Amino acid sequence: MKLRKVTALALTAAMTAAALSACSGGNSGGETATTAAAAEAETTAAADAGAEAETEAAPAADGEQVVINFFHRWPNDPKNTMFKNLIQEYMDENPNVTINMDCILNDEYKEKIRMVVSTDEVPDIFSSWSGTFAQEMIDSGNVSTLTDMFEEDTEWSGKIAKASIGGFTFDGEIYGVPWSQDGKAFFYNKKIFEENNLEVPTTWNDFIAVLDALQAAGYETPLVEGLMDNWAILHYLGTMNQRMLDPEVLAKDYDPATGEFTDPAYVDVLEKWQQLTSYMGDVCVAIDHETARNTYFATGEAPIMYLQFAEITLLEQSVPEDFEYGFFNFPAFEEGKGDPNALTGAPEGFMISNKTQYPEECRKFLKWLVSEKGGAALTTESGDLSSVDGAVDETNGLPAHLEAMEVINSASELAPWFDNACDAAVYTVYGQGAQAIAVGDETPESVMTMVQEAAASLH
Amino acid sequence: MFTIPALLFLGVFVFYPLINNIVYSFQSFTLSSATKEWVGLKNYQTLLSDGVIFTSIMNNIRYAIVSIIIQVGFGLVLAAVLEDVAFRRIAPALRSIYFIPTILSMTVVCLLFEFVYNPQMGLLNSFLEAVGLDGLTKVWLGSKKTAMYSVIAVSQWQSTGYIAMLFIVAIQKIPRDLYEAAEVDGASKITRFFYITVPQVRQMFFVTMILTVSGAFTVFNEPYILTGGGPGTATMVLSLHMYQTGFIKNNMGYASTIAILIFVITAVLSSVQFFSFGKKEEDA
Repeated sequence: MKLRKVTALALTAAMTAAALSACSGGNSGGETATTAAAAEAETTAAADAGAEAETEAAPAADGEQVVINFFHRWPNDPKNTMFKNLIQEYMDENPNVTINMDCILNDEYKEKIRMVVSTDEVPDIFSSWSGTFAQEMIDSGNVSTLTDMFEEDTEWSGKIAKASIGGFTFDGEIYGVPWSQDGKAFFYNKKIFEENNLEVPTTWNDFIAVLDALQAAGYETPLVEGLMDNWAILHYLGTMNQRMLDPEVLAKDYDPATGEFTDPAYVDVLEKWQQLTSYMGDVCVAIDHETARNTYFATGEAPIMYLQFAEITLLEQSVPEDFEYGFFNFPAFEEGKGDPNALTGAPEGFMISNKTQYPEECRKFLKWLVSEKGGAALTTESGDLSSVDGAVDETNGLPAHLEAMEVINSASELAPWFDNACDAAVYTVYGQGAQAIAVGDETPESVMTMVQEAAASLH
Repeated sequence: MFTIPALLFLGVFVFYPLINNIVYSFQSFTLSSATKEWVGLKNYQTLLSDGVIFTSIMNNIRYAIVSIIIQVGFGLVLAAVLEDVAFRRIAPALRSIYFIPTILSMTVVCLLFEFVYNPQMGLLNSFLEAVGLDGLTKVWLGSKKTAMYSVIAVSQWQSTGYIAMLFIVAIQKIPRDLYEAAEVDGASKITRFFYITVPQVRQMFFVTMILTVSGAFTVFNEPYILTGGGPGTATMVLSLHMYQTGFIKNNMGYASTIAILIFVITAVLSSVQFFSFGKKEEDA
């Protein structure tokens, strides 16, 4: 009897554990499946290429076969196909090179690259965000410095946006090749602005006046956002903190080792956030960013929305033909101490492992990829803005893309996304708190207390 | 001797990770860190001062209470009704209908309910407006007051049919003559339910209690997909908090500590249920 009880208890424990692991298991299962599928597709592609390469390379036979493992975070189309085509083209041009592409989506990519980067399994070339994520990759000690690559070939490196290179520069050394760049600005409905004789606001008070005017004109939600998405909230807060706080204070607080978040200006920012959410209506707390964009902004129901330039292509797909929109940078706070001409945005790029067998071949491939050719493919096929100067012009980009490039180029600096600027323990609390402010469950003061606690726990 | 493969399997896939997890809960490390730093009881101190833990436990308790009432309580009634002579004819059809939600993927169900709960175009608010109850329309997933119960409701919709099915199987095993004897003695249907059905399905009652309670304390998919724990931390539950701590805040040590807490809670609850029900069994 006793034994039976013990066995049953053990089984219960096992059941519980199984249920526990089910959550993570589900995730990794899906991931493995996608990876496997991608890998399979890759092997076939590689095999085809290999067969071709053999016939072509046989007479040349000038060198050993080079195999480069390339790992990135875009398994979805159009980017996946774009990368496949570009890689195929490169392998056709260079028959002795085989590039094995592997990819998984954002969050899983973050998890996986974090796990492999400090091991010998680190891929030869992998994609990385700038800022803290890049720092984390570099801290593993397995990322190669590329400063000499930029210095040796100035003809190539001179075309890459300086602000983007800055996102991958740490202690004077460059660790990544910027590939795309993105920025966040208020997109506004030009027609509605004209109908109501409104001008693009440049200061906070102007902005509030515009929102009031729009509300008076009958727009229930003059400003729209999907507040169910924490990252969308963080994009606001990152910009607002940058505009409001003294840059030195901000740098100190965003550093996990010294962060305190005691400056009263942080509370001001959250109060202004509270004020903004009062223009977003009741529905915003229950929808996500895409819904806000597609069913509110694109239909003209909400005239203003804070969007990324990377969303231009998506927006174009859902707006009616006569829809006209423009951009303006986040307005300056009258009392703000940060640079009002900075633009929140960041580059993404590629890193090379210092454990790779073929450092030269990796560099050669990246130079080929990050060029006017690759940049044009990126913008025309997927709608992202390339970091290469001259890759996009009237012939291959949408007018909105060119205007966006101008906004990026005219910004004094690129201020990193909030979730690339400080530790996850801090921004998670920040995002959840700001969401709670929007529904009226927390006050700016109580949220800052929680943020301060989270920051202190990192010391 | 023939249990060795099973024991080995359990050892490798259950007990080894479990022990490892206990070790991890005294360490501080991230997904990419090369070394693990020993921090003693620091993670456990954090656990005691973490306000989100309290919110999460309260939400898990809400989940458990509602699940017991609806899934076990209502599920049993549903099973008894379906097994009643009056429903003989349509019972098979109804059984299938109630069981359908169980075979749907949780993800699909959650996405479906996102549409149901949508404040503007959602089925629920549209329905309330259509029947003239405009005053009751709400931003279901966006308000602290309704978000948690909206999430809980999804699980009830999905799982009640499954629990009812388990009870149906149990009820079918009850000897018919018990009911016939009671009927001869003049017992009403309700009396028969309480004096024959309920005592006879006690075994199954025990199984379903363990299933729903441990399910309620390890629930993850529904809040993860529907709300992500929001608004704020209003719909945070233990497993979601554990996941976010580990994989988003990148604090694996503390996440392991939360996992230990979940394990302790479910183990204690299961053993309490096990021993209390086991005892009654011996008395009977």
